[in-house]
Amino acid sequence: MEFIESVLRLNQDNIMKKETIIKFYSLYKLYIFPGIVTLSCLFLVVFAIYPQMSKFITSQKVEGNLLTKSKFLVDKVQALESYSGEDLSRKVEFALASYPVEKDLGNVIGTLQQLIVKSGFNIVSFSVGNSATEQGSLSFGVKLEVKGSRALFPTLLSNLENSSRLMRVIAIETSSNNTSSVMDVSLSLAVLYSLPPKDFGSIDSPIPKLSQKDEELITRLAGNGTISNISSTTTTSVPRGKVNPFE
Amino acid sequence: MDKISINLLPPEFRQEELKQKKFYKIQVMGVMIIFLMAFLTSMSIALRILQSHNISQVQLSVNAQEQKVSDLKGTQASLLLLKNRLGVIGQYLGTPSKQTFAYALIDQLVGTAISINALSIDRTGDVSIVGLIPDSVALETLIESLTTKEKNENKISQISIDSLSRGKDGVYRISLKIKPR
Repeated sequence: MEFIESVLRLNQDNIMKKETIIKFYSLYKLYIFPGIVTLSCLFLVVFAIYPQMSKFITSQKVEGNLLTKSKFLVDKVQALESYSGEDLSRKVEFALASYPVEKDLGNVIGTLQQLIVKSGFNIVSFSVGNSATEQGSLSFGVKLEVKGSRALFPTLLSNLENSSRLMRVIAIETSSNNTSSVMDVSLSLAVLYSLPPKDFGSIDSPIPKLSQKDEELITRLAGNGTISNISSTTTTSVPRGKVNPFE
Repeated sequence: MDKISINLLPPEFRQEELKQKKFYKIQVMGVMIIFLMAFLTSMSIALRILQSHNISQVQLSVNAQEQKVSDLKGTQASLLLLKNRLGVIGQYLGTPSKQTFAYALIDQLVGTAISINALSIDRTGDVSIVGLIPDSVALETLIESLTTKEKNENKISQISIDSLSRGKDGVYRISLKIKPR
């Protein structure tokens, strides 16, 4: 009985409390309802809208960067795919034959022999000097002593500096007597070479384009190479030295 | 005839009615604001989901392109090497060195006026000439062509005659130094 009484009292208390709350709400509902709405709005703004929108703005930049990168990579792939591997290797070969990554003494001797013979001169002596640096490029010195016609000397100089193998004339000494048109020439040449570049580019790095000028240069190198190849076949068949060495 | 309206309701009742109307308005506005905020919240969440989806798709595309570029790394290296070589080749090939330029200049200016016995052009491009001049007219022509700006096209900066002597045969022996510009 006591238990039922206490339960009933509790129930009555609850009903009393509810009535108090309802009474309180009806009295102040003009303030309580807008307050609840404001709090709800604040809660949504602080915990949902603001974080989402700030993340949206940040990600917008990320998305923009990714799109730019994607476009750049698509263009890069297209540009790289437009080059024929075989053609590019051939061009690299020409360029490396002209300006190699290391000393190519054998090639230089062959080229010089061809150029000098082609220019109408004869080699008297040939010596190789030390390595040096020529305007940022590595080089090794070659000292040539040649003999030939004074009139052909400008052609020799031009042939040397237009040779498919890159070289520079760095000193000239000539001597001749009054009666002869033949002169002795001592030429110092700097034969250029350079180590390969250390950086071959990353995925993001732009690729260089071959300009019209570059293409013309390659064609010129290819032309020079062909000429020197032809002349090498003709010059190698020319006998040198005395017919009878015991004379 | 105008009707006379008399409000017999107590003033508390009227006040209560007004209060109810005001609360109704506030209630409508509140519900509308809550709906608006809920709409904005769902919109922002939807935008974020859409954006994440887009980003992941672009990322996938970037990864695929990066893989393609990696596969074409050889071509890229060849191209860079080629460009690196062509830069230097283009700078030097066919461009006369100081020495060649100096020789061409001397050849053009001196011509047949002097019979050159010895000529040297050093690393700086300075020229030394030792030669024979047959007569005074040729000597005059030589000096004129070397010193007149119109004739040497202003390509010579300095000339010094180290020695000049006349032999019994009337031939002049000259040693001179020329500094091209």
